[in-house]
Amino acid sequence: MTGPDDSIPGAPLPQPPQGFWPTVRRDLKLGVIAGLQTFWDLAKVMIPAYGVTLALQQLGVIGWLSDLARPLMSAMGLPGDAAVPLVVGYVLNIYAAVGSMQALHLDARQVTVLAVAILIGHNLIVEGAVLHKAGMNAFAFGALRVVGGLAAAIVANLLIGLVG
Amino acid sequence: MSEFLHTFLSGSVDLLVRVFLIVVPIMVVLEVFEGTRAFRTVVRAWARLVRHVGLDERSAAPTLVGFLFGLAYGGGVIVRDVRRHDLARRQVFIMSVFLSMVHAIVEDSLIFIALGASIFWVVVYRIAWAALVTLALTAVAGVWGRRRRSGGLGPGGTGGAPPR
Repeated sequence: MTGPDDSIPGAPLPQPPQGFWPTVRRDLKLGVIAGLQTFWDLAKVMIPAYGVTLALQQLGVIGWLSDLARPLMSAMGLPGDAAVPLVVGYVLNIYAAVGSMQALHLDARQVTVLAVAILIGHNLIVEGAVLHKAGMNAFAFGALRVVGGLAAAIVANLLIGLVG
Repeated sequence: MSEFLHTFLSGSVDLLVRVFLIVVPIMVVLEVFEGTRAFRTVVRAWARLVRHVGLDERSAAPTLVGFLFGLAYGGGVIVRDVRRHDLARRQVFIMSVFLSMVHAIVEDSLIFIALGASIFWVVVYRIAWAALVTLALTAVAGVWGRRRRSGGLGPGGTGGAPPR
């Protein structure tokens, strides 16, 4: 996490400038440097993760995982086919998941429940890469988001059933 | 294969442009406004809320960015702040759990609300769920950390370097 070149944006600032405009100018410069640095940090992990994601999609892994997830769907009050947008969301992103939801005929309650699961767990590879960069275990957090999202959806489905 | 490469390259460019257009402005705005009274008021108000899940004032800004804009962007700010002032590892853990469960509250939620999902379940329920999961996992990690006596994630360990 800390290399020799990492100290530039994080280095303690010498004498803070006096006056409004000099301060703004310094902050703008710092902001651009921090922005570029963060952009580079994110790009380094996001692009390879994106490549892996595409490869998984091309290899048909999504269809295979969806078949595995199918039995789980009834616990959330969802049809088996709803596994496809869920897994598409896990591997790709929310937009792809929404795209594949269009093909299903879900009622409002089912849309809400599926939305909860997808909103918590999605884009796991790319966002996991960013969490890894922040020093966390990407696999553990991927699992947390899948399990946490499914549990949240199951609980939501039960509660919606109770309150009507 | 050439189709795969084409998708990968155009998708990568798309991703890079999107990240760049979001990350650099966020960093510039953060840097310029971080010192202002208005920004501090907002962050302090937010800090008072996230204090309940165990986040301190220094973690409030990255958490707010992730909550509003998304995990990747919040993660970017976390990486910046870890580098800049050695955010405690326990704080990074809590932020990652919280943001894993709820992030990009505006954009992501709107997509599903547009599809017909209920705003209450997609927004309010998700925030409550995130708070619960964060508290539960922090408690578990605290016990686990103390048992390992590493102090890494335990409540006793500050994990932070002394102020420079």
